[in-house]
Amino acid sequence: MPTTRKLTGLQRDVLSLYRACLRQARLKPVETRENFRQFARDEFRSHVDVDRKDFNTIEYLLRTGRRKLETYSSEGIRNIVR
Amino acid sequence: MSAKIVHPRLLLSASRLVSINRPSRIISSLTAHVSTRGLASVATADASPRVAAKPRIKTFEIYRWNPDTPQKKPEMVKYDLDLNQTGPMVLDALIRIKNEIDSTLTFRRSCREGICGSCAMNIDGVNTLACLCRISDESSGATKIYPLPHTYVVKDLIPDLTQFYKQYRSIKPYLQRKDPPTGKEVLQSIADRKKLDGLYECILCACCSTSCPSYWWNSAEYLGPAVLLQSYRWLADSRDQFKEERKQQLENEMSLYRCHTIMNCARTCPKGLNPGLAIAQIKKEMAFSG
Repeated sequence: MPTTRKLTGLQRDVLSLYRACLRQARLKPVETRENFRQFARDEFRSHVDVDRKDFNTIEYLLRTGRRKLETYSSEGIRNIVR
Repeated sequence: MSAKIVHPRLLLSASRLVSINRPSRIISSLTAHVSTRGLASVATADASPRVAAKPRIKTFEIYRWNPDTPQKKPEMVKYDLDLNQTGPMVLDALIRIKNEIDSTLTFRRSCREGICGSCAMNIDGVNTLACLCRISDESSGATKIYPLPHTYVVKDLIPDLTQFYKQYRSIKPYLQRKDPPTGKEVLQSIADRKKLDGLYECILCACCSTSCPSYWWNSAEYLGPAVLLQSYRWLADSRDQFKEERKQQLENEMSLYRCHTIMNCARTCPKGLNPGLAIAQIKKEMAFSG
């Protein structure tokens, strides 16, 4: 996360995906909510070393992240275990 | 052309023609064959040792990319194969490379006879099925193998076809009728069934859609030749009663009318179908009734 300098479009996409993950976590049962939040945090943190200009990798990670979010958003999934 | 009446004896093969008047020779030669066949499993003294054929080495340059290390850029890796030990098709070569040289090479395959559409890939610049594409001679340089163009890559040679399948689902590729079902078969005349020839054989390999430049630039909204071919297959089916609704679905700027008759689709179809023609027929139907 940069300083108060303006965020680029790609950075905004990453942040909006993270926000969407956290919002989905809020729709899960109370007991397992923290698991979903922690899973999202871990997934994003594992790729923190990707270069800011490496558009291909970032776009690929965004796509797969969005697809995973779609899968985990479904009603039937109530817990996620690492 | 007058039909020639051929003497039955002349229909025999040339080698037996000689001994036609000497039946005893035939029998003796037959018995001779039988006696040597009995010894076939034992190596005979006069069996010549197998001369090792000169190895015909062919280079394959294959696109590799691993999603587990997404930061590493895709690269072309060279593999050398002896064509004397390999089957004739590119899929045989890929399987041999995976078995013997590099087991991390990943590709889709299933029927190995050109009917399932799994092994669609770009070989030497042409979108075909790997199981139907013969390996070119070793003298013609390296064969370059890429995944289908302008698709997201899942790994190595595997394209991501989820959008393609979503578009196929959107045209409702099933029979729709307004009459209540009678429990009997919906009959169709032979002439009407002939209209479906060249349309039903599509195996949805995605070779045509991924060869269309218009589909490259507008894949989100343009349906692409494969899906439009199937859309026409249901439009042309006499048993289907939702023709107007199907045509209405295509009545917009992008779904159908991004086709500019580039005709790469007909050129590249591995089954020899003509999606461009089907699209033209849809356009004609839309123009004369819509």
